[in-house]
Amino acid sequence: MDPAVDAPSSLLIPTAENNLQPFFVLHKASPPRKSAAKTRRRIDLSPKTSDSSTEESDDNLRLETFNFLWSNTESIIKDVLKNLNANVFDEIDKWVHVSFDAIRACRKLDCFSATSPYPILNSASIAAAGASRQIFTGLLFTKNMEFVDDILTFADLGVHLRSNGCYVANLTSLDFSAKSGVGGCLKILLRQFLMVGIDAPDMSILASWYTEQENNENPLVVIIDDVERCCASVLADFIIMLREWVVKIPIVLILGVATSFDALRNILCSNVCSYLSVREFTLGTPAERMDAVIEAVLLRSESFSIGKQVSTFLRNCFLRHDGTLTLFIRALKGFDGESILLRDIVLKRALNLPSLQRFCQPSAKLVDWASGLSELKRLRKLWSSTLLCLYEAGKYQKISLLDLYCEILEHDLCYSGASDHTQLAKDNIVSSHKNHLHGCLQREGYVVRAFRMVRDLPAVELCKLLSRWELLTRGIKEIHEKVKELQTLMKFEENRPKRDLKEASKKPTARNLINEKTDKTTGSEKVATFLQGMVRQYIQPVESIPYNEIVFFNNVDKLQTALIGDPRRRIQADLLESDKFLRCSCCSKNSGAPIPSMHDTSIMYSLAQEHGDLINLHEWFHSFKSIVSLPPLQAKKRPRPSPSPKKRKDSNEPQSRNDAQIQAAFCRAVTELQITGLLRMPSKRRPDYVQRVAFGL
Amino acid sequence: MESNDVEEEEFGFSRNYFLAKELRGSGKKSARKLSEINLVDEQELREAYANIEPKHEKEINDLLNTYKNSYSEWVFVLRCGFALLMYGFGSKKALMEDFASTALRDYSVVVINGYLQSVNLKQVAVTLAELLWDQLKTQRKSTLANLPKNQQPFHTRSMDDLISFLDGPHLEDDECFVCVLVNNIDGPGLRDSETQQYLARLAACSHVRMVASIDHVNAPLLWDKKMVHTQFNWYWYHVPTYAPYKVEGMFFPLILAHTGSAQTVKTASIVLQSLTPNAQSVFKVLADHQLAHPNEEGMPFNNLYTICRERFLVSSQITLNAHLTEFKDHELVKTRRNSDGEDCLYVPLTTEALEKLVQEISQ
Repeated sequence: MDPAVDAPSSLLIPTAENNLQPFFVLHKASPPRKSAAKTRRRIDLSPKTSDSSTEESDDNLRLETFNFLWSNTESIIKDVLKNLNANVFDEIDKWVHVSFDAIRACRKLDCFSATSPYPILNSASIAAAGASRQIFTGLLFTKNMEFVDDILTFADLGVHLRSNGCYVANLTSLDFSAKSGVGGCLKILLRQFLMVGIDAPDMSILASWYTEQENNENPLVVIIDDVERCCASVLADFIIMLREWVVKIPIVLILGVATSFDALRNILCSNVCSYLSVREFTLGTPAERMDAVIEAVLLRSESFSIGKQVSTFLRNCFLRHDGTLTLFIRALKGFDGESILLRDIVLKRALNLPSLQRFCQPSAKLVDWASGLSELKRLRKLWSSTLLCLYEAGKYQKISLLDLYCEILEHDLCYSGASDHTQLAKDNIVSSHKNHLHGCLQREGYVVRAFRMVRDLPAVELCKLLSRWELLTRGIKEIHEKVKELQTLMKFEENRPKRDLKEASKKPTARNLINEKTDKTTGSEKVATFLQGMVRQYIQPVESIPYNEIVFFNNVDKLQTALIGDPRRRIQADLLESDKFLRCSCCSKNSGAPIPSMHDTSIMYSLAQEHGDLINLHEWFHSFKSIVSLPPLQAKKRPRPSPSPKKRKDSNEPQSRNDAQIQAAFCRAVTELQITGLLRMPSKRRPDYVQRVAFGL
Repeated sequence: MESNDVEEEEFGFSRNYFLAKELRGSGKKSARKLSEINLVDEQELREAYANIEPKHEKEINDLLNTYKNSYSEWVFVLRCGFALLMYGFGSKKALMEDFASTALRDYSVVVINGYLQSVNLKQVAVTLAELLWDQLKTQRKSTLANLPKNQQPFHTRSMDDLISFLDGPHLEDDECFVCVLVNNIDGPGLRDSETQQYLARLAACSHVRMVASIDHVNAPLLWDKKMVHTQFNWYWYHVPTYAPYKVEGMFFPLILAHTGSAQTVKTASIVLQSLTPNAQSVFKVLADHQLAHPNEEGMPFNNLYTICRERFLVSSQITLNAHLTEFKDHELVKTRRNSDGEDCLYVPLTTEALEKLVQEISQ
C-alpha cells in the first residue's frame, strides 16, 4: 500500500507473456481481514464521530456514509418518479384488464383446440369474433427523446402491473435486432415468462404453459421500451406471430414511443399496423420530472444541497448538453461521493472553515460547533421553503423549479444586499415591462416574474396559493404564522369585494371601479410584499451561512471532469502542451515552437498543425528530422524550412540521432497518433499522405 | 472559457489557411513522395524502433508517482459503484496494473487486453464467475448453505446465465466484487458494438467493478447514453502518462517499413522462387498483362486460363486454380470485379514494384 516503497521503475516492467494474452488473472483476492469488517459494523453513521486512526477504516467509514446517503437519495428519487407516474400506471392497469376481458369474452375454446400445439386460425368461433383478432396495444408516449430516462419508468410499470396480477415481460429495442431475429425475442420472452432458458423457443411452449398452469386467469403483458429503435422487420414478424396466437395467448402490448403516433406507422407497414388496436397514454415531460426531483432531493430532504456553480452546470447540461435526467441523478451520486471526500477534509479542518472564522470567536469552538450546525439546518429549511413558495407562485407562469433554483443561487446577492428591496423589485418590474414591450422577455428574472405574478393574481387564485403555502410551511413557525394571517386577511377581503361587486353591477361608477381595484391590489400587494420580505430575509447568499461548506458543495470542476470526460480536447492538449504536464526544465522555455527535447509525438503533432486535411509524409518527416537533429543549443532558432533529403553527417553533431533512430522515432510517433485516433493512415489512392482527423481543441 | 474561444478561433483560422493552400496546390499535388525518403534497411529500422531512447524518463516517473497519491480516491470511487475511465495521452497499461496490484489487493482482478485483435468475452465472463465463486466461498465459510452445492460448471453456461450470476444477490451486507481491468476498451478487439454491449452489461453487474482506459479521441462514440449513464457509469480521470505505447502499438505496421516497395518485392520474390517454374510462369503471364494494361482492373480468369493453356503451363482449370490459391494465400494475387461484372485477377503491387519483381524472378 505504501507508495514510497514501490520503486517507480516497477511501474514500467510488465510481464511480457501476459501482454499477449487476451485476458489474464492479475491476482486473486487476498483473504478478508477480520478487523476491518468489525470496525465497519461498529462505526456510527454520523461523520462527526470519525476519529479512527487507520486510513482503511476511514475509507470504510466514508463508504458507509456514502451508501447511507446515496441509498437515501436514490430511494427518494425513485419514489418521486413513481408517484409522478402513478396515475398513468393505474390507467394502463385498468385498460389492460379491460382488454383482457374483451379477449376472453370472445374466446370459447373446446378442450382439444385449447391444448393443441398450434394457433387457431380458421375456427368458426374466431370468425365470429373478427374484431378480437387484433392485439390490444398501448402506446405510451414518453415525450422524451432520451430513452435512458425512461428505463426506470418502464421497469416501474412492469412492477406495477405485476403487483396487479399480470405476467409481464420487459423487452428492449436491443432484443429486436436483425441478428438474432424473431427467435431471439421469443427466447427472451420465454425466459421472462417461464423463468427458464429454452434453447429452441416456440410459441407453443408459451401456449401450453399458459393453458396448463392455470395461469389463464391473468393477462400477459409485453412491454417494449423504445419501439422506434427496434429493427422494423423483426418487430413486424413479432407482431404477426403474436396475432396468430392472440386468441390462445391473450397478450397485451405496451410500446414506449418517444415521438408521436406516426412513429409506429413509419416503422411498420399498414398491414401490420392494422393488427394493432391502439390506445394512447402519455407520461409527464422531462422538465416536470426534473422539478419533482429537485424539490424532493434538494429542497425537502436534508442531506445536502448544491452550490451555485454546480447548479448552473447541471442546468446547462440538462437544457443544452445532455438533456437527460439520468445525468442529473448520476451527478447527484457523483456529488455524494465527492462531498463525502470533501466533508472529510472539511471535518478534519473543521475549525478552520472560513465561514466559521467569520462568525465565531475562535475560543468557543465546540459549543459553537453544535449550535452552528443546528442554525445551519434551520436556515436551510427556511431557505428551501421560501424557494418552494416562490415556485408555487411561479407555477402560474410555468416557471420551472430548476430555473428558479439556479437563479436564486446565482443572484442571491442582489436580493438580500439591497436594503430597499421592494423598490428594487419594482424597478425591475418597470424595466421588465419595458422589456416585455420590446419583446425580450428572457432578460427578466424568474423571481421577478414570480413577484409580478402574485400581484396580478385574481383573489380566488390568491387564496388557493395561500392555502398551498400554508401546507408547504407547516412546521416552520416563522413563515407559517404569517401565511395564516394573510389567509384570514384574504378571506375577509374576499367577502368584501363581492358586496362591492354587486353594488358596482347595479350602479357602475368610476369611484366604485377605483375602489374595487385598490381593494384587489391591497390583497395581492400584501401577499407580494410578504413574499418579497420572505425572499429578502431568508434567501441569503449561501456563502454567508456558517458551515455552508458542509451542505453546499461547489466544486464544479472536479464534478464536471469526472462526469463528462473530454478526451478529444484533452488528448490534443496533452500533446500540444506536454511541458505543462511533464514539468521539465528543458521544454518550457520554448514559445510554442517545437524543440528537440520535447516528446517525439508532441513534436510531430505540433508540426501536423501546420498542415491542412492532408499531411505529406515526406515533408512531415523532413521537418521532424530537422527539428530532432538540431543540437539543443540551437533549439531556439527556427528550423530550416526544407532541408535536403540527403543523408546528414552526424560527426559534427554528436548528440543528434542517426537516421535509423530518427526514422524509428518517426514511425513510433505516427503509430501513437494513430492509436489516439488523430491520424488516418495513407489510403491506396494517396499513399504519400496521412489524413488529419481532429481540428482545433 | 474566453481563452478557449480565442484558441479555437485561431485553430479555425489556421485550418482555413492551410486548406486554402492545399487547394491551390492541388494541381501539383504529389509534390514529394514517401519513397524519396532515404530509408534505412527494415531490419535496422526495427532494431532502432525497439531501442528508442526514452525522453523525459524522470519527469514521466514523477508524473506516475503523483497519480499514486490518488489511488485511495480511485478505490473509494470504485467502491461507490462507479467505473473508472482513464484517458489522456500515453500508455496507461502500466499505471493501471500498478494501481490494481497495490490498491486492489482485496479483490480479484482480471485484465483484458483490448489492444489485441480478438478477445473472447465469454471466457472472460467464465473466469469472472469462477473468481467470484471462490471469493464467495471463502467469505461465507460459515453459511455455505446459501450457495447451491452441485451447480452447473460455468463454462457450459450461456452468457446470459453468467451475467445473471455475476449480478445476482449473493451477499446482503458485505461488499464482494471482482475487478475487470480493461486496457484499451476502445481497442480493435473490443470495438464492435456487440462486444461493447456485453462489456456494458458486465460493468453493470453488482459484483463486478470496471477500470478501463481509452486512447482514441472519439472513443465515447462507442457508447450510447444508456450504456454511459446506467451501465458503465463512468467516472472520468484524466491521467496523461506520456509512456510509450509499446504493447498497444505492436500490431501497427511501421509507416516507413511497409510502404517502401523494396520490402514487398523482396518477400514476393522469395515466395515465388519457392514455387514450381510453371507456377512462376503463370504469375509472369498475369504480371505481364498487368504491366501492359496498367489501367485495367485486372485479368479475367478465362483469359488467363486460355493463355496458360496455349503456353502449356497448365492442363486444366483445376491446376490453374491450385496455383492461384497458392498465390492468394501469399497475397500475391487478389481478385476484384471490373465494370462488366467479371472477376479479375491482379497483383496488388505498384507498377514499379511489379517491374522489379518480374526482373528478379526472370533472372
